[in-house]
Amino acid sequence: MRIVSILAAVVLVALTALALVPEVSAYHWELSVAAVAVAVVVLLALLASRSGTVETSAQAAAPAAAESAAFPEVANRADAEVVSFLATFQERGRLVDFLMDDITPYADAQVGAAARVVHEGCKAALAEHFGIRPVRDEREGARVEVPAGFAADDYRLTGAISGEAPFTGTLVHRGWRAEWVKLPRALKAADDRLPTIAPAEVDLK
Amino acid sequence: MTPKYSLGIDLGTSNSAVALTDLESDETEVVDVTQILGPNKIGEKPTLPSALYIPHPDEFPREACALPWAKDRDIEAVVGSFARDHGALVPDRLITSAKSWLSNPHIDPRQPVLPWKSSIKEAKLSAFECSRFYLEHLREGILYAEHREGRDWQIPECQVVLTVPASFDEVARTLTAEAAAAAGLGKVTLLEEPLAAFYAWTAQAGREWRSQVRPGDIVLVCDVGGGTADFSLIAVADREGDLELERISVGEHILLGGDNMDLALAYTLQAALEAEGKSIDHWQFLALVHAASKAKVTMLEDGAIAEAPIALPSRGSSLLAGTVSTKLDRATLEQVVLEGFFPLTAASDLPKEARRSGLQEFGLPYAADPVVSKHLARFLHRSLGNVQASEALSRLVGDKAQSAELLMPTAVLFNGGVFRAEPIRRRILDLLTSWNEEHPVRELEGFQPDLAVAKGASLYGRNRATGKGLRIKAGAARSYYIGLETSMPAVPGFKPRVKALCVVPQGMEEGSDLLIEGQEFGLITGQPTDFRFFSSEVRSGDTAGQILPDAESALEETSLLEVDLPSLDGFPPGEAVPVQINATVTELGTLELWMKHTKSDRRWKVEFRVRTE
Repeated sequence: MRIVSILAAVVLVALTALALVPEVSAYHWELSVAAVAVAVVVLLALLASRSGTVETSAQAAAPAAAESAAFPEVANRADAEVVSFLATFQERGRLVDFLMDDITPYADAQVGAAARVVHEGCKAALAEHFGIRPVRDEREGARVEVPAGFAADDYRLTGAISGEAPFTGTLVHRGWRAEWVKLPRALKAADDRLPTIAPAEVDLK
Repeated sequence: MTPKYSLGIDLGTSNSAVALTDLESDETEVVDVTQILGPNKIGEKPTLPSALYIPHPDEFPREACALPWAKDRDIEAVVGSFARDHGALVPDRLITSAKSWLSNPHIDPRQPVLPWKSSIKEAKLSAFECSRFYLEHLREGILYAEHREGRDWQIPECQVVLTVPASFDEVARTLTAEAAAAAGLGKVTLLEEPLAAFYAWTAQAGREWRSQVRPGDIVLVCDVGGGTADFSLIAVADREGDLELERISVGEHILLGGDNMDLALAYTLQAALEAEGKSIDHWQFLALVHAASKAKVTMLEDGAIAEAPIALPSRGSSLLAGTVSTKLDRATLEQVVLEGFFPLTAASDLPKEARRSGLQEFGLPYAADPVVSKHLARFLHRSLGNVQASEALSRLVGDKAQSAELLMPTAVLFNGGVFRAEPIRRRILDLLTSWNEEHPVRELEGFQPDLAVAKGASLYGRNRATGKGLRIKAGAARSYYIGLETSMPAVPGFKPRVKALCVVPQGMEEGSDLLIEGQEFGLITGQPTDFRFFSSEVRSGDTAGQILPDAESALEETSLLEVDLPSLDGFPPGEAVPVQINATVTELGTLELWMKHTKSDRRWKVEFRVRTE
């Protein structure tokens, strides 16, 4: 699980760095979405590694008991779930193909065409599986108030932090949060190997 | 038992959906359906694609596709999202449009012939079996999804309403009801889809709806879905100060819809790509169809977008090297969709009949002419003929609607995904206005593109269960006839005409019963007897017991009827038993025909049997 988080974090850094390159500024939006997607992977990986099987068994609680009774859960289920989640982004938006490819030799037009595929598919997957809303609805650049008793993970305060909440400042990033998560479930327990991200495709004539 | 819920099921040609009304709280909601989303992947979606995939035994491990409610059963078929998406690449194993096969006059819906023309070694399925599969999956899938959400209810607590196309004849309707029973849904009430859309509209518009229609209105319910187009007309009349609605005409089964438009766009874009020297494979073509469909919706919803870029990845793992890009521009879109499918044709311009070659292959009878405008003209022409055949209907509709060469609606209720696009709705209104000497035809406001048919079915079930709320007068959409062989001397090369005896008049109401007097038949005990069965949707004036001189020219042949009399006490074997025909339209909306002994109360049920050629 730690490996998944590290890998995803590295990819996240790469994506964010890519966004800084002036030539690809035309695909800023696509890159941002890809970055958000990978950030979600990191988050999930972290969550999974922190709470281990407790998280998944709580999620699969009561009604889904019928499923787990026949297919008993095993230890690496959390890892398996993160990989299936990655598989969803690969299947819908070819995310792994995009990131595993060497981007250097391609012209911006070609990178742009591929980014459209990634953007469209990953966006659809994101919309289907997460209810994503900005933390703050105001436009970026506006003066906003951070209320007293705010949730620490909802805000990152920068600059001169002093005194007591409420704080007032400029909204630099609206933030994102998931209001609900609706992920597909696995039908059989993972065995000793991790699930495939994308199967090898063989066309039979 | 008094039902606690009303369950509305829209068994669609391409997608199915279910809505549930809680009769106590009077709230209607679409219910999610649990389904296989990929190998070893399961989840909920609001619709179940009506697609069935027959997997190769080695293709997936058994537990990767086993539904939680059917763990111990063999995987004969996979239904839903994964079936549709994966099946697109393995067409030999994919069944779609099973519903249209139910009403195919040339193929017995109980014969296992699907996937059509496939050479797979596994057992094939019949159209009836497919419908049963879908309905069974819907039943189990919604109960499971609801259970996961902590809601537990059972089918016997529900009034179940199942929708069918208005164009379905009695055989297809009966088969659908039987498939529902075989799927564990019990006895279901049947409702025509355009009527369901109308019920959904009245609920959506709330009290407002009564102010949107007035006596004298003729509402065209125009439903163009993914694969089919279905039209109906509803007349609005005043009955002692209250609005009374009556469905006065239904259309034919037209296999033409949004999928045809997406395909047309994809072919156009593919041709443009090829002109640039870029060729795409079948997999990319499927992606192109999908992308063109999305671009079409985006551009038709927002008139400010001049062109939509389309990127088609290659199937290999190099996304950067293999992606082909193109774009859909507005001129092409309008040329292909608006002018190709909805041109402003004249009222007299009717669809071209398909040219039938001598050796016709009986696949699905797809519409030969893609122009929806012409199919609409044909429907309104036939509707005029139907209304004029009966004095009562003619009076109800009024002279104004009959003054042109077709029956002129005054308002339109749209349904189906195609009409999400405002320009297409406007085009239909413009078309009707042009046929109406430029008097505008209005749209009933409150179009809801999403799952209106399922919601409307569930609302109709509520109205039935509570006895309150609106009921559109409908009854039998067609009249039905039994063929009478005329006795005349045999002449070589001359086929004697078949007369037709009307046994069910159009509009015969649910829960009514008719005995055809004056026409006796002799049935021989111990041997099955066949009758030819005909129908028409344009002969509203025919009455029960009426005899038409020539069935073959005036009517459509529907099926064969078969009645099998067991040996009876009091009738020596081989002797003819005198019977009369007794027709019943049940409360659930299905037609039953019986042969009733003239001198006692004994009667024998007549079964529908599809003609096979």
